[in-house]
Amino acid sequence: MQTLFRVFVTVFVCILGTISWADGDAPATISAPAAGSVTLAEGLAAFDRVYEVVNHPRCANCHTGPDNVPMWYGGSEGPARPHGMNINAGQSRIGVETLICSTCHRTSTDLRSAPHAPPRAGLDWQLAPVEFEWFGKTPAEVCAQLSDPDRNGGRDWMGLAEHLVDDAGHYGFVLWGWNPGGGRDPAPYSLQAHVDDVLIWGVAGQPCPAE
Amino acid sequence: MGKLRTLTRRTFLVGSTAVAGGVAFGIYRAKAPFENPNLAGLPEGAASFNPWVIIDAEKITLIAPHADKGQGVFSAQAAMIVEELDIELDQVEISFGTPDKAYMNGALTDAMVPFPQYDYGKVAEGARRFAGGVVRAALPIMGTGGSSAMPDSYDKLREAGAVARETLKAAASQQAGVPIEGLRTENGAVWLPDGTALTYTSLSAAAAQIEPVTNVTLRDPSQWRILGKPMERVDIVAKSTGTLPYGVDHKTDGMLFATVKVNPRQGGVLISHDATAALAMEGVVDVFEITGGISVVANNTWTAIQAANAITCEWGEATYPPEQDAHWTALSASFTDDRLNAEARNVGDVDAAPGAEVIAEYRSPYVAHAPLEPLNATILVSDDRVDVWTGHQLQMFAVDMVAKITGVDRDNVHLHNQFIGGSFGHRLEFDYLKQAAEIAMKMRGTPVKMTYSREEDFAHDFPRHITMGRGIGKHENGKVTALDVQIAGQSVMTSQMSRIGFSLPGPDTQLHEGAWDYPNLNLPNIRVRSYKETGLAPVSSWRSVGAAPNGFIYDTLLDETIHAAGADPLMERIRLMGHDVSVKVLETVGEMCGWNGHDLGAGRGRGVAYVFSFGVPVATVVEVTQTERGIRLDEVWVAADVGQVIDPVNLENLAQGGTLFGLGHAMNCEITYSDGMAQQSNYHAHESMRLYQAPKVNFTALENNPKIKGFGEPPVPPAAPALGNAIFAATGQRIRELPFNKHIDFV
Amino acid sequence: MQASFTVNGTVRSVDVPEDMPLLWILRDEIGLMGTKYGCGIAQCGACTVHLDGMAVRSCQVRAYELDGAEITTIEGLGTPEAQHPVQEAWIETQVAQCGYCQSGQIMQAASMLANNPNPSDDEIDAVMSGNLCRCGTYPRIREAIRLAIQKQGA
Repeated sequence: MQTLFRVFVTVFVCILGTISWADGDAPATISAPAAGSVTLAEGLAAFDRVYEVVNHPRCANCHTGPDNVPMWYGGSEGPARPHGMNINAGQSRIGVETLICSTCHRTSTDLRSAPHAPPRAGLDWQLAPVEFEWFGKTPAEVCAQLSDPDRNGGRDWMGLAEHLVDDAGHYGFVLWGWNPGGGRDPAPYSLQAHVDDVLIWGVAGQPCPAE
Repeated sequence: MGKLRTLTRRTFLVGSTAVAGGVAFGIYRAKAPFENPNLAGLPEGAASFNPWVIIDAEKITLIAPHADKGQGVFSAQAAMIVEELDIELDQVEISFGTPDKAYMNGALTDAMVPFPQYDYGKVAEGARRFAGGVVRAALPIMGTGGSSAMPDSYDKLREAGAVARETLKAAASQQAGVPIEGLRTENGAVWLPDGTALTYTSLSAAAAQIEPVTNVTLRDPSQWRILGKPMERVDIVAKSTGTLPYGVDHKTDGMLFATVKVNPRQGGVLISHDATAALAMEGVVDVFEITGGISVVANNTWTAIQAANAITCEWGEATYPPEQDAHWTALSASFTDDRLNAEARNVGDVDAAPGAEVIAEYRSPYVAHAPLEPLNATILVSDDRVDVWTGHQLQMFAVDMVAKITGVDRDNVHLHNQFIGGSFGHRLEFDYLKQAAEIAMKMRGTPVKMTYSREEDFAHDFPRHITMGRGIGKHENGKVTALDVQIAGQSVMTSQMSRIGFSLPGPDTQLHEGAWDYPNLNLPNIRVRSYKETGLAPVSSWRSVGAAPNGFIYDTLLDETIHAAGADPLMERIRLMGHDVSVKVLETVGEMCGWNGHDLGAGRGRGVAYVFSFGVPVATVVEVTQTERGIRLDEVWVAADVGQVIDPVNLENLAQGGTLFGLGHAMNCEITYSDGMAQQSNYHAHESMRLYQAPKVNFTALENNPKIKGFGEPPVPPAAPALGNAIFAATGQRIRELPFNKHIDFV
Repeated sequence: MQASFTVNGTVRSVDVPEDMPLLWILRDEIGLMGTKYGCGIAQCGACTVHLDGMAVRSCQVRAYELDGAEITTIEGLGTPEAQHPVQEAWIETQVAQCGYCQSGQIMQAASMLANNPNPSDDEIDAVMSGNLCRCGTYPRIREAIRLAIQKQGA
């Protein structure tokens, strides 16, 4: 009976589309390939996969530009459209000028949400910095931005990988991308695979595609 | 379900010969009283001269029996009584009262006779009186709907106030030994010539002893002190302080909370279910089957809903085509002789009429009611009685439904009607109430508040009926010469009445309402035919019912034909109209907006539309701008004629609200079926209008209509065509399918 | 879980599932009915209350967030006898039709004006559009907000 109960609880939790870790567990690790061990082709292929992730609605929808409008839907959920209800995150990127994001998007390490309810994460919900504009950008444009310390928070490729792991440790937006709750499509691949691809790309010398 | 009652043609329909030749069994006077339900159980010393006024030594209670869903009738009914009763609104208590045929709605039959409601000729009026009398004798219906509360109440309630006043004066005259001519009434008292005030409450015992004075004359509107002037509605303070209880707010000792999960394929069965996870949840009291689905009873609403979501169900098939496309295909094939519902109008000869043709097809989808208060009812089944707390518009039928399910005699079923958080027709249906009754039966002795989740409310809405229109407009020499309109729709009357246990004989008038009675008395060739489909999704009355889709079809066809003729949209509508009251409405809206043509240049345009519904002509002008990212609604002007304005503030509220309701649904709302289920589950998918999109709405009321009419619905139908006509004026794009966002973006 | 928090100045202690929304704690546990359920997914705003001085959708706030919180509901904003200026403005303008959304509308408007006493039309549009009204009272809501701005002396 105890086992049956546990099975049902697990099924129930999975239906709500969540995975949560106990505090202190690191959901991804840094393990870079040896210097010189990655070919140019492998590096570009890794970046292709990185771009698939950052261009996915779970990431790109909040990596929007200076109009400060978050996006909804996209991908298999139909055409992307601006966040409903005339929401604008403002220059603050967190809505303090008008309606702060946390009015609806609550901060929580429990990433579950009902279908069509506002998603939540362990960091205060907000848009990414405007320098990290990815929505509608080409692979070459994203690659240029990720490679530029002036536009990526002053980071080299290892810094980018560490940032991903650190964010995930706080149940932040990166972790959320793969555990979005509410029945939303998660980003492709996995958090660990994405961290690995950033490292492969980095070791290859951060090669950028032509377009 | 109960046997279907069929009203025979002979007792229900009115033929003109029966009216013109006199009536075999007499015309029932609308004034002939039913037994006053307040008399039973009236305490010693209290008086009730008619069903609407109760006076005792402590207080005066007015009965305002119509359901209030935001249209302001609770306050308006009381105002009509106090106007004549010479007391103020803050000196009385007001109650919804108990369901009784004494409160039958005498205005429902106006729409049921085969005369357009702008026809006030002797034959038409005679037919209405006759139909009213027949229905009163055979089937008095207590109900709120069809924008009928004002016409139903206007004479009746003012009379109730006047009768009470005159009876109190008579009692005072006897008691004080003063001739009645020397008495006056003011502020809830009878005033003697020497200045003494005898309060009504102090006179109640004496008044209870005498026969009510029924021979009264009503005051002329020019003498009104309350009616016709801006009022502060009696429910406004409570609604602004969170202190007005709606049905969903009902609380009582020992109450449990329930919700339901019913087959989203409407009318389909529950084949099997697994409630193991639900039963294991903390706070769940019970899970059991009810008709069509499952109920969860718990310690709070949220737990009940979470538990219901955790139940896996195998559902049976829908009783209609599972995919939306098939609904349109079925309607497309309905324009055939065997489906003809009525040739509702045929003037001149549309086929032989001269002129170039405009040929068009229009689509109006299912749309949801989705008022903000979800369906709910609290029911307590005790040994000898049932108490029901819910907001409902068909109060006596609601009592019948609960009586049938609980097996308790209908005299012992007590409906305590509640304020309703929006309806738009949602509270005309009974499934939710029957489910709540089944639950209360199982939980006998415990009051249970059953609340639908928003998702369940969307899944089980009976939406506005789906409609398709085909039209041919003809024009020659800059003038419209003919309009030939065909409308095919899922029959809303068949669907809705079947769930009440009726089948109305004759055509479903809602399939051509709003089109057949668009006056156009100067248009020499008009034909309006409607076609009835019945195998599609179950549907119900949605604010303005047939007038919304039919008005969209007819007025848009007219607009297309006018533009093709090169005429001015407003001037040509005025030229064709021929109905003086309506012409004034059109002229007024033109003055209000300074109409100077539809094309304002630089991507800006105006559309005008007119629809006559529930006896009220309404003309609407919408102005839009095409911006880079989509259409922006800039401003709206509305003119209407309700015959007599009772509260200009409430009337403006309804004009603005009904217009924005119509515009919002036209912009982005539809219900579509897939796998037999409605695809739209919450407001993100069926949003209507948000504040940032709302234009300014200017309103003018006229009073040339010969009789008072209601205004809950009439502003809705012209909104969609006015917007479509404006989009055409601004962009050149003619959209014939609702919602418009299938073809254009709105900002 | 046990949670202890203040509602309209009164300390409340409840023992509820940790993910139970504040909306239902207010309505079904504590019995304050002024805060309404309309959608459960923050699409309608009828559930709006103030949490530590900021407007939030109480259908999204879970029990585990509440320990030590200060909540104000519509009942705490003002009463029929002692109305908040926003409520006075709402009454004078006769905004409400069915009225079901108005608790949320008023709570959001009051929060907006507390943070920004003289908002522009665009700012009002940006803050208030999360509050849905099916009856179409928006023109009067705008009027009432402008009247409230005057009353609060901006």
